Amino acid sequence: MIPNALCFGDEFPAAGAPCLVQVEEHGLTVNFASDTTDDQSESVPFSSLTVSAGGLDHDQLVVKWAGQKGERTLYLKNPDVIRAFRQAAPDQLSHSFEQAAERVRQVRHRSRLVWGLVGGVFLATVLGLWFQSDLLVEIAVSRIPVEWEQKLGESAYRDFLSHQEVMKEGPAVAALGEMTQRMTAQIPDSPYKFEVTVVKSDVVNAFALPGGYVVVFTGLMKKAESGEEVAGVLSHELNHVLQRHGLERIVKSLGIMTVAAIVFGNQQGLVGMMKQLGVELFTLKFGREQETEADLTGLQLLQRAKIDPSGMITFFERLSEKDEGRMEWLSTHPMSAARADRLKAELAALPKKSPEPFTFDWKQVQASIGSQTVVVP
Amino acid sequence: MKSEILYPGAFPMVRVDLAAGENIKAESGAMVACSPTIDIESKMEGGFLGALSRKFLTGEKFFFQTLRASRGPGEALLAPTVPGEIVILELDGVNEYMVQKDGFLAGADTIVIESKMQGLSRGLLGGEGFFILKISGKGTLVLNSFGAIHKIELKPDQEYIVDNSHLVAWSSTTSYNIEKATSGWVASFTSGEGFVCRFRGPGLVYIQSRNPGSFGAWIRQFIPVSE
Repeated sequence: MIPNALCFGDEFPAAGAPCLVQVEEHGLTVNFASDTTDDQSESVPFSSLTVSAGGLDHDQLVVKWAGQKGERTLYLKNPDVIRAFRQAAPDQLSHSFEQAAERVRQVRHRSRLVWGLVGGVFLATVLGLWFQSDLLVEIAVSRIPVEWEQKLGESAYRDFLSHQEVMKEGPAVAALGEMTQRMTAQIPDSPYKFEVTVVKSDVVNAFALPGGYVVVFTGLMKKAESGEEVAGVLSHELNHVLQRHGLERIVKSLGIMTVAAIVFGNQQGLVGMMKQLGVELFTLKFGREQETEADLTGLQLLQRAKIDPSGMITFFERLSEKDEGRMEWLSTHPMSAARADRLKAELAALPKKSPEPFTFDWKQVQASIGSQTVVVP
Repeated sequence: MKSEILYPGAFPMVRVDLAAGENIKAESGAMVACSPTIDIESKMEGGFLGALSRKFLTGEKFFFQTLRASRGPGEALLAPTVPGEIVILELDGVNEYMVQKDGFLAGADTIVIESKMQGLSRGLLGGEGFFILKISGKGTLVLNSFGAIHKIELKPDQEYIVDNSHLVAWSSTTSYNIEKATSGWVASFTSGEGFVCRFRGPGLVYIQSRNPGSFGAWIRQFIPVSE
């Protein structure tokens, strides 16, 4: 005998007695398997049964009746038996069956509804993050320790520099050192230790990696007509670091899983993800708002460091006018008249400060890094 | 498969006697010692996707061990990771148990282990997570607990309230609701209970006498912090 139901009653174990339920014309026959006594069977007419839904997921049919030895409760799960029971049952039970079925439907419906809601909220969150994610991204970024950012940036930085011709000394390095020093002196609370490296390349570009690692190409220095112009670019890049724009882009491109991981505290997995992503750091493009933010805060930083901020604007303008040449910086920093205008307006609003000139002579610096005429056909 | 609990109490082991050709499944890493006639295989119960879902959803191990008496009869000693009692249940093919993810130690090859998703409130507040193991079939099932195992027997419609982190296993004929321990939200948490499960019979509920989460929090204060 293979049992297909569990029967509960006073003399049965609490886990229920396994039994074989058979549906007959006038009622149910319940056979109890027993090792100790002979097989017992009990026949119950349909008229004395009540049915309802029960069990952990309300997916079992609970049949109750008052037997000779007390109250009996039967838990039926086998769909074939339930179907046979339902077909054979007389009319007075069909109402209870309908109620039980209704209850099961209700529970399933509610569960579907709840999961649907959860799914909907989740989807809305994902979409919300995708389109309006700045706040959450900022929260997530604020939870990433600066040390991680530095490690991440450093590994990418070393990796990059290992393939490049780095200028270790000379007037160009000294000039950039002076600019960096004057600007960082204005941000004493910064957790970042800025490292600015000059790389020999005709590429007109400069970039900043998370953690304070900045690279300026000699191509950009050759294009600049004064130290102030380079300082403008440098200030812009430093502010990308200070505003943690790189991290924001990473978090955004890694998406919701990362945000969730950081906000909810699983930070270990993130390091691995970011390491994997380290190579991608160079291809990260900053968003338009981030560029604007870096422009404005960069302008303010120049002002505080008493470096003539108009250099930033003239350099940007000049870069946007000349379309020839390998203007890498432009590809990641699209120039528009509006951008320059905004900077001019901002500059006009700032209190006038008399700028202090740099100690180096820009023409000499440029001479030290090679010919001044970079004409790329 | 014959099994016997050795050293009942906090640090028990199970000795399982296997006839030639017989095999059992056990939690990965549960084997302590065995006869040379027994081969240990790792097996992804329920196929790759089943194992994957079990690993990620219930936090259970990806692989179960299969101990196979392939070269003649033999015995194996099995033990859980945490100190605590072991209980042996006989499944008769009709009984089904829901087992929280750390509760499974071993079982006969004939039992069926599935990951099952719980409802939202149970998953969120029940303390076992969204996924639990549903164990059915016919054969021996060995569960382990943190602390002692206590069996609660519920008659039809009899109710009992259990702190959610003390649950080990419960039969599928029971049902439960998650409730606050006391009527007020604040009192519910200051009483140290938070959420409780109100079980309704008939069926069995196995609970453990210690709460792993609280124990972890307690022991953390003694772990020296680096730096």
